[in-house]
Amino acid sequence: MINLLTVLFKKEVMDASRDKRSIMAGLYYAIGAPIGVCLLMSVLLQQLASPEALKINIENSDSAPGLIAHLNSRDIFASTDANERKDITLSISDDYQQKMSEGRPATVTLIADKSDDKLRKHINQVEKAIALYSSEIASLRLVSRGVDPSLMRAIVIEVHDQATPDSKGGMILGIVVLTLILALFYAAMNLAIDTSAGERERNSLSLLLSHPLHSLHIVLAKIGAITTFSMLGLMVILVVSKFSYAMVPWQQMGFSITITPAFMLFSIAICLPIALMSASLQVFVSFMAKSFKEAQSYVTMVLFIPMALSMITTYDIATDKVQWLPIAAQQFALMEFIKGNPIPIPQLLLSTVITLVLCVAFSFLSARMLKSEKVVFGL
Amino acid sequence: MKSISNCFNRLIIKVMMPILMVASTASYAENNQNNQPKLTPCYMEGLSDRLMCGSIAQPLSDDPSEGEIDIHFAVIPAIKPSHPDEAVLGFAGGPGQGAIDLARIFDHNLRFARETRDIVLVDQRGTGYSHQLQCESDDLKTQFAFNDVIADLQAMGAEDTQKCKAKLNIDLSNFTTPVAAKDFEAVRVALGYKGFHLYGVSYGTRIAQEYMRQFPNAVLTSTLDGVVPMQQSLAAIGGAVDGSLAALFKRCETDALCAAQYPNLANNFNSLLTRLEQQPVQTQVRHPRTNDLIDFTITKMKLYSAIRFALYGHAQRAIVPMVIEKALRGDYSPLAGMMANVDLTQSLAMGMHNAIVCGEDWPRLTTQTRAQYSKTYMGKAMIAGLDIACPILNVKAVDETFYQPLKTSTPTLLLSGGRDPATPASWAELAMVEMTNATHLVATTVTHGVGSQTCAPKIIAKFIDQQSMRDIDTTCINDANDKPFFMNINGVAVANSHSTDVANKE
Repeated sequence: MINLLTVLFKKEVMDASRDKRSIMAGLYYAIGAPIGVCLLMSVLLQQLASPEALKINIENSDSAPGLIAHLNSRDIFASTDANERKDITLSISDDYQQKMSEGRPATVTLIADKSDDKLRKHINQVEKAIALYSSEIASLRLVSRGVDPSLMRAIVIEVHDQATPDSKGGMILGIVVLTLILALFYAAMNLAIDTSAGERERNSLSLLLSHPLHSLHIVLAKIGAITTFSMLGLMVILVVSKFSYAMVPWQQMGFSITITPAFMLFSIAICLPIALMSASLQVFVSFMAKSFKEAQSYVTMVLFIPMALSMITTYDIATDKVQWLPIAAQQFALMEFIKGNPIPIPQLLLSTVITLVLCVAFSFLSARMLKSEKVVFGL
Repeated sequence: MKSISNCFNRLIIKVMMPILMVASTASYAENNQNNQPKLTPCYMEGLSDRLMCGSIAQPLSDDPSEGEIDIHFAVIPAIKPSHPDEAVLGFAGGPGQGAIDLARIFDHNLRFARETRDIVLVDQRGTGYSHQLQCESDDLKTQFAFNDVIADLQAMGAEDTQKCKAKLNIDLSNFTTPVAAKDFEAVRVALGYKGFHLYGVSYGTRIAQEYMRQFPNAVLTSTLDGVVPMQQSLAAIGGAVDGSLAALFKRCETDALCAAQYPNLANNFNSLLTRLEQQPVQTQVRHPRTNDLIDFTITKMKLYSAIRFALYGHAQRAIVPMVIEKALRGDYSPLAGMMANVDLTQSLAMGMHNAIVCGEDWPRLTTQTRAQYSKTYMGKAMIAGLDIACPILNVKAVDETFYQPLKTSTPTLLLSGGRDPATPASWAELAMVEMTNATHLVATTVTHGVGSQTCAPKIIAKFIDQQSMRDIDTTCINDANDKPFFMNINGVAVANSHSTDVANKE
């Protein structure tokens, strides 16, 4: 029987390998996704590394030369050109000097639209700079009265952050792992549709079934071939990730993302059950559809499920419960591994078992469907 | 923050306590006997990042029978260790400051260098956690009440020094710069780094230069921030203090508002000093923290010292004219506030400080240099203090070759502040006479410590990366960073200037 399966598997792989362009199309994602992420992040980092001077509208700036000098030293400048400045107005009250010299709080008014996402960062920057100036002046006021300004700090919080540079990546690590898991699905999607719905449309499926074979053998061989290409996609994306992520200057943001050989082996081991499950699921869905086109639509829809599970983990939604589910648990384990944290073994084991059970279930269902003429001939 | 302290201050301290190894929130595992030091996670004040701390045992002296002392160090791990066999080694100032406790400042000044390289901080022997040589100082109340004019300073200083010596009970000759340099090399070997990029601040530049001299092959680059040349005595600091103060007076004079509010500031300061010299003021002020009424004696020395330490920071400099003006009118609360804000003796290991100055700076004083340094008030006071303490402490003078300017072709970046009250730019020029690959940058408005006041951290990181200063844009170092003077007790604003205009118009 093993021999039979091997022959069938070889047939499927050979069949798939004939269309080189289609295989390459499947792998484009594996090559392109990490590079795309890296390019985007590099642009973002460049913006963060050399922030442009913030130009805002300052009214009545003559009243507060000290404050203006302080803002300038924090890269915030007054500008009269409405085109180049941000839509933030800082209005210094007319009695600023009076209030300041009397020791009363002097008022400056910050006029801006806080719902404007692009502006919020700059508003915070202005607010922070003014707060710093205020506390500097306040400290010196106390010193001038012979009072130790540290009295103003009744409690000091000393933070002992247990994070390491490898674990601080957070959201970006989630995206990195998400791209890996999606590669499993994308790399073999074409093949899954082609080997099932496609084979049926080419009328070669009925030919195959006319041989003295158990339909389960045919399904298993197809799943094997699809899984092989899935794993090939995973290996490609891992290799591309290893080199491309190393080139992004993450350190400027205070963390690093390193794809180690150990992580690569770990992800191959963790992702194999997912690849099997995804292959059986895609075959099942493709057989359910009446035509190639319909199968394409369904498979694309079905892909939303793993993507959603993976994203839920990435964005940390209800992690406590979701982390027991397949894909979500594997994604979580991969993230913990890359952060250097202990791996949640029970969750990982349970979800792997569920993943394999699903794979078996989808395989049997597909095999049963192949016994129906309605399915075989797409009636 | 890092400073060459005034050892005279120390001599007016009466009570002493046994040497304390300062406990911190950090967990320190005892060093095991292996060659590879055991590293344990630890945290330092003001820095939330996790460091790795450890220690190695080093012989106290050439004589093995005298035993060993533990040299403690901390590693601030690189964000992305692209150069795992290199690290940046930070040297603290003082002399007497521990580098590990200053992790926050080193992390700030070397934050860009840390992106790709570890930062290694070693507590120099006698400081911090490495067999700290400390003599307890007076509390604030005693310091405020102390009258250095009527006290017999000679006898008191001698008594203090004797007590300190008895408590430390160790040969201070084992704590000089040339001896300590070997500990840094031992740490490098133990941690397995192929080379160090040095970053020394203030006195730390002296030990950095000595390390370069002894272990030239271990040094990849060297950044010296606030340079002490090997051929320069710390007792020459008086000139820098006066220069920095003169710069402050000049800035007030050229500023229309300050000149109007505080006319004749320099003259007023001098007449205040003369008045206090003739007759110290005895008064009472509120304790800056407890609010109790306490005795406050203002002498020339105390006023001058307070102003001197205020010159280190821009925020404190902003209130100097007001403090002088108020004191002249008999209001000493601002002075008390300023004195409470500067508490350097707490953070300096005075035993180690004295080992350095008595072994390196005092023996080399000649009649000529004595006369020269004594022209300034601070220089004179410092030499007087050394003359009391050093004969008692009996530190073996370092070798004559120690005072030779450092000859090196290692890429070196020297940084000076134009208003530095401790290490003026001329000192850096003196240090680089025999350096063939050195660049000197002077940041015009900076006081002491260019790394913490300017864009220098970026320049330092680039310099370390390419091991040369070629094509590095250094213009940002001259961005003005001083603060406007306080015009009255409430701030920089001048009352009625604008609002009266408005009122007149209405």
